[in-house]
Amino acid sequence: MRLLTHNSLKCPVKGVAKGYPLQLTIVDMEVDETEVKPDFIRGILPSLEWEGVLVAAAAVGFDGLPESWDTSLLDDRDFILAMHRLLIDIHIVEGVLTCPETGRTFPIKGGIVDMVLPESDV
Amino acid sequence: MTPRAQSDATTPYQSDKELKDGIAQLYDQSSGIWLDIWGEDMHHGYYPTPDFRDHQAAQRLMIEKSLEYAYKKPFPQFAGKKMVDVGCGVGGSSRYIVKKYGGSAEGLSLSPYQVQRANAFSAKVNLSHALHYQVADAMNMPFPNNSFDLTWSMESGEHMPDKKRFVNELFRVTKPDGRIIIVTWCHRELRPGETKLASWELKLLNKISTVYYLPAWVPASDYVKLVTDMGLQDVRSEDWSTYVLPFWPAVIRSALVPTNFIKMLRSGMMTIKGAIASMWMREGLRKGVIKFVIITAHKK
Repeated sequence: MRLLTHNSLKCPVKGVAKGYPLQLTIVDMEVDETEVKPDFIRGILPSLEWEGVLVAAAAVGFDGLPESWDTSLLDDRDFILAMHRLLIDIHIVEGVLTCPETGRTFPIKGGIVDMVLPESDV
Repeated sequence: MTPRAQSDATTPYQSDKELKDGIAQLYDQSSGIWLDIWGEDMHHGYYPTPDFRDHQAAQRLMIEKSLEYAYKKPFPQFAGKKMVDVGCGVGGSSRYIVKKYGGSAEGLSLSPYQVQRANAFSAKVNLSHALHYQVADAMNMPFPNNSFDLTWSMESGEHMPDKKRFVNELFRVTKPDGRIIIVTWCHRELRPGETKLASWELKLLNKISTVYYLPAWVPASDYVKLVTDMGLQDVRSEDWSTYVLPFWPAVIRSALVPTNFIKMLRSGMMTIKGAIASMWMREGLRKGVIKFVIITAHKK
């Protein structure tokens, strides 16, 4: 699971007030450095949940991101590179996502996250 | 659980859990052989003329025609935008859209095997950065409100046990000014004076539902009503049954090719029954019981 995906997810439990960003506990992760795609990164930046980006960065020990972002950063090559590495090149192979509100957990196994709730919670 | 519709007789499944487990299992078991025979897409092809025979082109055409119908003009560049592929199969349609038009996609399926294959296909075309698939429930999507510019359900609606809840989820995750596209199998509209389908029609649909793990079938007008009641705009719907008619004979023919037939036998009972059910699907479409429908709407 990439951290860009983490940024899109919320807890699906009914009645939850917000349910994101999900807390991220990493058991196993891989880094696969790929060719940076600056246009793609610039394209997705405005729709990112910045709070979620910070949660993800903290979980992988990625320091140095600003507390908030602004459009001037779109021209900052180092920033674009950092965002690509963080959101695209890091793969969570095994771990757990936890809802900050309900404590509900969702496993990540073999790089795939399972967000399905048991019937009793639907 | 919501009270079941009168057309319950079109399905033996009354429990959501039984359905979901069945769906996951069906696609875990049969996706492999389908992909071997048919390639990367798992939806009906769109055949512009009855003698059109390029099946893989037909599958691509289904995607293009759906976008064209919904947007009423050439689909705009999608760079910087997000779509969700609800009931994504192995990601064929979202992968096609993102590859051609840009942007990114989140996809969900109940089948871990499909998600695995979807991610592998994304990697093969160097689109792993833009295509993300996970195991999740379309009736309970793990996305915040107003997440997506395009909410895409290509032949997954027929699996949803509670259509109202399903449409509500589609609405919820769509951004303001975003669009919903649903392409799905329905049963024909009831005629004036009819309160339900004829018993042979109910029997046929029930047989199909048993094999494909489908809940009760609805007519297209049910979707149109739900979508309209939810406050969506520019609600339009069209019957594309004529354009998909050549698909099932092609599926049946491909299943009978000796190498494929053996693969099918090896895939297990669910897959074999699925192949037999393809003949019932063909019958249903030809006799006008089953309708292949597109429904689209815009969220203000």
